[in-house]
Amino acid sequence: MKRYVDDIGFGFVIMVIGLSLVFLVMPIVVAVMMSFDGRAYLGMFPPPNYSIQWYQKFFSDAYYLHGLKISLILALIAGIVSTASGVSAAIVLDRYEFRGKKALETFFLSPLVVPAVVIGFALLLFFALFGVFSGLPRLLGGHIIITFPYTVRTTLAGLVGIKKSLTEAALSLGANERQAFWDITFPLARTGMVAGLIFAFAFSMDDVAVSMFLTSPQVYTLPVAMVSMMRTNFDLTIAAGAVLLMVFTVAAIFILDRIFGLDRLIGQGIFKS
Amino acid sequence: MAVLEISNVTKRFGTLTAVDKASFYVDSAQILSLLGPSGCGKTTMLRLISGFERPDEGSIRILDQDIKGERPYERNVGLLFQDYALFPHMTVQQNVAYGLKHRGYDKQKIPVRVSEMLELVKLSGLEKRRPAQLSGGQQQRVALARALAISPAVVLLDEPLSALDAKLRQQLRIELKEILNSVGATTIVVTHDQEEAMSLGDVVIVMDQGKVIQQGLPTEIYADPKTKFVAEFIGRSNWFSGRLRNLVAPGVREFETAERITVLVPEPDGYGADDTDFEICIRPERIHIQRQAVEAVTLSENVSRITGTIRDIAHLGAEIHLVIEIHGGRRITATEQYLGQTLEQAGEEVTITFRPEDCIIVPAES
Repeated sequence: MKRYVDDIGFGFVIMVIGLSLVFLVMPIVVAVMMSFDGRAYLGMFPPPNYSIQWYQKFFSDAYYLHGLKISLILALIAGIVSTASGVSAAIVLDRYEFRGKKALETFFLSPLVVPAVVIGFALLLFFALFGVFSGLPRLLGGHIIITFPYTVRTTLAGLVGIKKSLTEAALSLGANERQAFWDITFPLARTGMVAGLIFAFAFSMDDVAVSMFLTSPQVYTLPVAMVSMMRTNFDLTIAAGAVLLMVFTVAAIFILDRIFGLDRLIGQGIFKS
Repeated sequence: MAVLEISNVTKRFGTLTAVDKASFYVDSAQILSLLGPSGCGKTTMLRLISGFERPDEGSIRILDQDIKGERPYERNVGLLFQDYALFPHMTVQQNVAYGLKHRGYDKQKIPVRVSEMLELVKLSGLEKRRPAQLSGGQQQRVALARALAISPAVVLLDEPLSALDAKLRQQLRIELKEILNSVGATTIVVTHDQEEAMSLGDVVIVMDQGKVIQQGLPTEIYADPKTKFVAEFIGRSNWFSGRLRNLVAPGVREFETAERITVLVPEPDGYGADDTDFEICIRPERIHIQRQAVEAVTLSENVSRITGTIRDIAHLGAEIHLVIEIHGGRRITATEQYLGQTLEQAGEEVTITFRPEDCIIVPAES
């Protein structure tokens, strides 16, 4: 009797895994296939013939291209700023003991739990208070805030594996604090920092919720452009845009994996002993 | 000449006094062992000398220069970390060269110096390896080469052998001492292991609760401990508390233990006939065992004799460990050399004897 219960449980787990795979993968497959639809109108799935007309349309549409340009600029600047500040925060959290350290750590990671809509709306009010109405600084602020926890986290994961005695050894051998950081801590924590940068880039690229509140008519991101086009002028150019966004993210992860090995990044950092 | 001089150094962490008015000095090319249990302040002392902590009081002088305010990288101190702290992303060559690079060594001469150091620690040929590709013993020698390469005025070794297994430890201990002597390094070894301290050190300092308790040659520390703590920390011992009684010969007094056994002990220095409590300690190897029982307790020819029964006997190879129960149920441990004799049996009646000079007498701890 017992064994049947086990078998049923096991079968159930397999089924859940199968279903999740279907729901994860199928929509993506549908979107990719539809983006290559050869018909000039929005027809039934699957497409009878294929072409790259939606991609041509995407790349000849100034509205989308502007959004893509803003998205790339934003993701790059936000990624770099957020990595630089995330690394500094992680170093302070890792190296020093002080009162309220735990609280500060939780605070740094809080954008992960605060709903993006709340962050977006709060930032809109905040920027209005200081008279900032142009889109780029507002978007930049928002994107730095939502990507910051990722850079703190991945850097921290890299730093935790580095023994403090390594820095002390460097100091005793004649390196000052700055040299010890660049010679020892930085190379050992670099993988975590780069991972943070790429995560930040990817999250900035596909954020909608925060960006919606902070765009201006002239400065908007690609996902925001896609959402507004979906409302006004729905066609498969959006599918092409979605696939392009996906390509950017997958490319980032692929680079990450090729250079550093993804499992090592998600683990504790490379050098443990 | 004293290379390193510590005078009245005190270091507090909050309410805890980690180092309490410690003073000592190390002569040129001397190896000094700083021995004590964990939490005795020896590691804090090492961090004070290397500059990772600053003393609250007192002065630390290297070659007659006060270095209290200097940062670790401004001091000429070499450190061998307990976990070796080799840079994992650098080769052996780069590890050893690191200090030379940052201490402004002539760039052309660095490779020569590195291969010189690797030759010294017998690791020539492993220049291109990473630390992870080396055994524990090899890693330790790289760390030592790295610390010695910068020709520091003082070398600090933090529990240098504790991370190695027992067999390797003995071999490396000899090597370590040879290397340190060959470069004439002025060295402090911080350890909680008495064998390590006594075999490496020309001089041993015993620390407890932040204080320097006793300083002396390894033999002095073992044979003539000044306090119960030192005697107990180093080696094994049988303790009796009690009071001094009559003088029976010049420098020899009777001592009545709490168990009402009278033994002969050396008269402690500066003893006035007051009622101070004392404790005596007899090392297991100083106890002789006679295989026939004598009547009760007798004192003759300035030798203490006590009858007892063997309760346990363990043959450990070169040594035999015995547990002997004397009257009153008190148990004594004794060791004998195994020289091929027939062994005593458990339950056998024996007489243990020891001379007054086999007893160490210290004031009782209140």
